[in-house]
Amino acid sequence: MIIENVIAAFGAVFAAKTLLLMAVGVAGGLIAGAIPGFTIAMAVVLTLPFTFSMPPEQGLATMVSVMVGGLSGGLMAGILTGIPGTPSSVATTFDGFPMARKGQPGLALGIGVWSSFFGGIFSAICLMTLAPQLARVGLEFQPWDYFMLVMFALTITASLAGKHLVKGLIAGAIGLLVRTIGEDEAAGMARFDFGSEVLLYGFDFIAVLIGLFAFSQLLTDVRDPENATKSLSERGTVKAKIEHLAAIREIGKRWVVVIRSATIGVFTGILPGAGGSVANILAYDQAKKASKVPEEFGTGTPEGIIAPESSNNAVEGGALIILMALGIPGDVTAAVMLGALLIHDVVPSPNFISDNPVLAYSIFIAFFIATFMMIGMQSFMLRVFVLVTRIRMYMLACVILGFCGIGVFALNNVTFDLWTLLWFGIIGFVMRQFGFPLAPMILGVVLGNIAELNLARALAITPELIPFFTRPWSLFFLIIALFSAMFPVFQEHRGRKMWTLFYLPFACFAASIPLFMMGGVPRPVIATIIIIFGIWVLHKRWKTGWKLDVA
Amino acid sequence: MTRLNKDTIVAIMLLCLCAVFFWATFDIRQPDYGVLMPSTWPRVIIVALSILCSIYFIQSIRADNTNGILEREPGFTGFFKYWRNPLFCFVMFFLFLASMPILGMLIGGVTFVFVLMGLLGGWAPRQMLIHASVALISVGAMWSLFTYGLGVILPVGMIFNPFAL
Repeated sequence: MIIENVIAAFGAVFAAKTLLLMAVGVAGGLIAGAIPGFTIAMAVVLTLPFTFSMPPEQGLATMVSVMVGGLSGGLMAGILTGIPGTPSSVATTFDGFPMARKGQPGLALGIGVWSSFFGGIFSAICLMTLAPQLARVGLEFQPWDYFMLVMFALTITASLAGKHLVKGLIAGAIGLLVRTIGEDEAAGMARFDFGSEVLLYGFDFIAVLIGLFAFSQLLTDVRDPENATKSLSERGTVKAKIEHLAAIREIGKRWVVVIRSATIGVFTGILPGAGGSVANILAYDQAKKASKVPEEFGTGTPEGIIAPESSNNAVEGGALIILMALGIPGDVTAAVMLGALLIHDVVPSPNFISDNPVLAYSIFIAFFIATFMMIGMQSFMLRVFVLVTRIRMYMLACVILGFCGIGVFALNNVTFDLWTLLWFGIIGFVMRQFGFPLAPMILGVVLGNIAELNLARALAITPELIPFFTRPWSLFFLIIALFSAMFPVFQEHRGRKMWTLFYLPFACFAASIPLFMMGGVPRPVIATIIIIFGIWVLHKRWKTGWKLDVA
Repeated sequence: MTRLNKDTIVAIMLLCLCAVFFWATFDIRQPDYGVLMPSTWPRVIIVALSILCSIYFIQSIRADNTNGILEREPGFTGFFKYWRNPLFCFVMFFLFLASMPILGMLIGGVTFVFVLMGLLGGWAPRQMLIHASVALISVGAMWSLFTYGLGVILPVGMIFNPFAL
């Protein structure tokens, strides 16, 4: 049965039209990722309108290709101009740009490209092996567990706003509120229509996503009139030839860095809300800590390029694992992928892989193929990138705004969606200016109805709220949601207040309780390991006399 | 009188928004079936949002506002100069949407892109030529792709079809 599904998926992905679309997708992603200010999520969200008339396998394969291309495109601008193309390649510039300035731009690009490739392949393998296993775990989830999982996804995304945690939580709550506008899915009653017929149907969430993310981003890019009229080529050198063999040799000597960074990437991708922007910095930091020559970081060392590039390409595999296994998007890009699935009437859930095996395997295969395409197309796209860098930012922004209009209308053939795009573009822009993170709001919009439907199902089974606190999975998500919400406070006072010494051990002890409650053998074993780790941390701190880092 | 900082104003506006939405929950019809009433979930969100906005409001009052440096020049002229480009984009997109029943997607789209490029980049003759070509080719290509490639019926407008309205 599996073989038949895999063969069918191969047939869908290896169709000439799909391969052509994937190649165009990778090329588009590479260019979009390379232009500072245009994020990967924006490239993927703008691809969405094109895919609605395609078969699901073809549409998803195209979007996966844009995503893979975008993840690798950011390094071109970062290395050659010192301006990261996407937030996922910020750390790449720390060593990539100095290496290019030292006269080795081809080697720096080669290391970046091949690290991206190895990170992507590692991530694709994890996706194929872990997603079906995690989906089996997901089948244990009941409505209470799902509801808490959504709450956890929102709190952890908000907690990434750091000291702006409250703003992150407000953004998440606004996202949930926006999703309640229109007909209630459970009872079919009108909510917040304010007497308007168009509001009765609610906002199309893809139009909301494009408005919040793409429209507001474009306005932010052209805010400064001086920068808006500049082209990227005025900001640095953009000519180079990729040195493939030398780069592979350099990476071969440092394969441990690739594995460690890709693992960090996959794990970060699995965490809802934490995307490539977090992973590349984390991986860079870990590579520096593990290096025998940390003082060379920042001067153009290969490890400084390998670590962020392998990790940021591994992120999307992780984000897709949780999307395909549990139906929860790992980051904004995965949220758009969820939108693409919904357009094709496919609802991601733990049953997704078993109910739609051909589509699931098509996504796996497309991820692999796109990674290979990316490596093949980098050299050519570098030349296109040189051409694109001559275009002024305001021209790109105007053309893409025009495209947003056509694309959003095409979603439902409804003019109201265009107004949605405009209003949410304004809301997104204003929120950005006031320092509100948009990722929690987007996840709120995407996950709002999942939370409500599961709450309704849970209360239909029993009107009591006790199961939210007594069911192992629900309690597990509640505990980690609380600790993730507290995390920014912990980071702020870390090493300065006594209670921060107990935060990690206490989190370990608390998280182990529901794992023990789950029964069986593996989970109590994991719980025991977590407890031992907590005790070890406490012991270490006791040996140092409960010493704080800063007096 | 001490001037309110922008966070305080945003917090107050959000609290007002919560009040409006909470009031609107009383207009939601309650069916005779189901355990979770259609107004319950929105109310839960609004209560949580109100609490968060209150915390944000208190934080904004407590924050030290004396070191705030205004990036732009004060007054309306300064405001317009600083936010000129986004304002142009909003207004132009608004006009693009408002004129769509008349101009349609193709003419409206080309006009929108051309005029916006002029507003953001300048009106020198050479620039106008480039802007016109870019607007025509980009919007034309997208329009053709969606119309002929994907089979989407985009708004035609009164100019091409007087019976469109």
